Amino acid sequence: MEYKIEKKKAPGRDEVEVLGATFEKGKPEGEDAGKWRQKLDSREERLKYLQSGERYFYSQEWFGSEKRKNPA
Amino acid sequence: MAEEQETKSIDQGTIELIEKAAKDGVNTAFDRAEAMKPCPIGSVGSCCKHCGMGPCRVPLPKGKEETPEEKQKRRGVCGATAETIAARNFIRMIAGGAAAHSDHGRGVAELFLEVARGGAPGYGIKDEQKLLQVALDLGVEIGERTNNEIATDIGQIVLGEYGKQEGELITLRKAPLKRQELWRKLGVAPRGIDREIVEIMHRTHIGVDQDYKSLLKQGVRAALADGWGGSLMATELQDILFGTPAPILGQANLGVLEKDEVNIIIHGHEPLLSEMIVAAAQEPEMIELAKSKGAKGINLSGMCCTANEILMRHGVPIAGNFLQQELAIVTGAVEAMVVDVQCIMQSVQTVAECYHTKIITTSPKARIPGATHIEFDEHDALKSAREIVKTAIENFPNRKGNVHIPDNKTDQIAGFSHETINYLLGGMFRASYRPLNDNIINGRIRGVAGVVGCNNARTKHNEAHITMVKELIKNDVLVITTGCNAIACAEAGLLVPEAAKKFAGKGLAEVCETVGIPPVLHMGSCVDNSRILIAATAMVKDGGLGDDISDLPVAGAAPEWMSEKAISIGQYFVASGVYTVFGVTWPTTGSKEVTDYLFKDMEEMLGGMWAFEPDPIRAAHLMIAHIDKKRKALGIDKARERVLYDMDMRRELDAV
Repeated sequence: MEYKIEKKKAPGRDEVEVLGATFEKGKPEGEDAGKWRQKLDSREERLKYLQSGERYFYSQEWFGSEKRKNPA
Repeated sequence: MAEEQETKSIDQGTIELIEKAAKDGVNTAFDRAEAMKPCPIGSVGSCCKHCGMGPCRVPLPKGKEETPEEKQKRRGVCGATAETIAARNFIRMIAGGAAAHSDHGRGVAELFLEVARGGAPGYGIKDEQKLLQVALDLGVEIGERTNNEIATDIGQIVLGEYGKQEGELITLRKAPLKRQELWRKLGVAPRGIDREIVEIMHRTHIGVDQDYKSLLKQGVRAALADGWGGSLMATELQDILFGTPAPILGQANLGVLEKDEVNIIIHGHEPLLSEMIVAAAQEPEMIELAKSKGAKGINLSGMCCTANEILMRHGVPIAGNFLQQELAIVTGAVEAMVVDVQCIMQSVQTVAECYHTKIITTSPKARIPGATHIEFDEHDALKSAREIVKTAIENFPNRKGNVHIPDNKTDQIAGFSHETINYLLGGMFRASYRPLNDNIINGRIRGVAGVVGCNNARTKHNEAHITMVKELIKNDVLVITTGCNAIACAEAGLLVPEAAKKFAGKGLAEVCETVGIPPVLHMGSCVDNSRILIAATAMVKDGGLGDDISDLPVAGAAPEWMSEKAISIGQYFVASGVYTVFGVTWPTTGSKEVTDYLFKDMEEMLGGMWAFEPDPIRAAHLMIAHIDKKRKALGIDKARERVLYDMDMRRELDAV
């Protein structure tokens, strides 16, 4: 996915760079409608998604309920 | 006549075709089930035919309590007790089911390795992200390596898991940490897939393991090798080769057949060949050939789990589930039914002989006398697929006038893989199960139920499936479904978002409307039950609902089960901590001890247990009661007032 960076004014600062809109215009059509995985272009992006989106399994920092002090 | 047929199915089109079959003089599973009652001794697990001294029948005495002396005498010639015999029969069912799923997985792994090595033209790696995911799971180096290099390592590791002799399956690591520890503690962590199945066959041979608890424990180990091993690997590798399912619109029921087109039904379980048939049927030369024979085009549809596979990935319509396979041919409009493995009735050939339909077998493992055999060759799969499509087209002019396609089909949305649910609930930047867990905690969703499994000719087609699912969603239980239950739900119109407003309770309907999902989520074929295990694990790992699957407010069911695969699936769900209710019949009631062990003792051991209840409403209420029990244990059974703590209140809390 190509990210758009927008410049905006922030209080107490001059211009700051922020991530712009990430939605795609229009309505998906045909067999590709709903195939969200195609939005990830490169291997780097895919690996990054696994570490964030599938953090339960692939992030070093995620433990959820599994490591809490008082087990249910 | 019509009234009589209405007792056989809840589906109008199915009833119409049962009537047509009767008029055409065609014998179907519905007729055979009526003419032949199940063996009362075999059906309760009290018949042993494992050696030449038998079969030995050890049924419970009818209409009276058994005395200890009578129980002592209730043995086979070799001395095996009713408990041993019931347990042997039960775990042999697990072995059969685990073997079927796992051999499916092996076939996928073999093709996968061929693809990686460049030996299977026409196939490729469609989902790189899933490839990377599985590489991480299996500890395969990624770095700058090509997809094919990574895939070669994955294929070799996966195939190695089938014949592994010691240690434990790598994929068990996907399970919650506490669950893995429990399996190790109990000694049920599977060593290798084939080994556990073979060991069941050994232990159940005459004169080997004669302690029913020990036998059932091995059944647990083999079932885990299926769910967290063979089935899971089949799903993962299929996703890499053919794409991880994402929401897709499709249609279901016998009305998807087209009167003026060449109808090809793909029936069975493995998507390896069917993916190629989908491609071949779209080729302009094939469409032209069909037109030259007088057809308007080629209409592909699926049956049983192959249907689920090609629906989830291509939106190919589903013609029906297990009990509709003969009836699809009875329409008189099917040029070819292409079959591979599992759940294919031998009688499809006999029925086909009454019409013009060609039954085409494609697997070297599954032949039917009288059928046309076109063997699937993965080294030139498109050639096999083209030959099959061509055979169907050339059969179109042989169609007879006696055609009736019921006017019934419904829309459905399928494709809810674990990955897609995770994405839908959180989006690309924070994909998460958090909204699901939060809505379970706040009570909008009461819990989650996995309702799966077959059709069974001993019970009204689709009735128990639909009655149970409707009762669950009415009570705010989100349903996830696979296999023939998913097809039944599609036919009843439950797999569209609008169904939430019509059938679901207020809380569940609110969540479905917000996310834009149906109240019943189609997760795939029967090997894809592994997707449910991963979804449950993700719920645990997200937090707030306990440390293990057995803590979750979830339950499972197979209201119309019939296959050995269903028993294996049920056992790996129980072994994963899920309360699992089966309908229709229960195969161990010939032994109270074995049944009690499965229905009661397993909960103490594994946190999950079996239950049997043929009434679908009562079964749904058992599941809801279990969900409520888990909610209470988690302390989320009552709405609580939310209090915003100020600093003084916090200090007070610290002092305690």
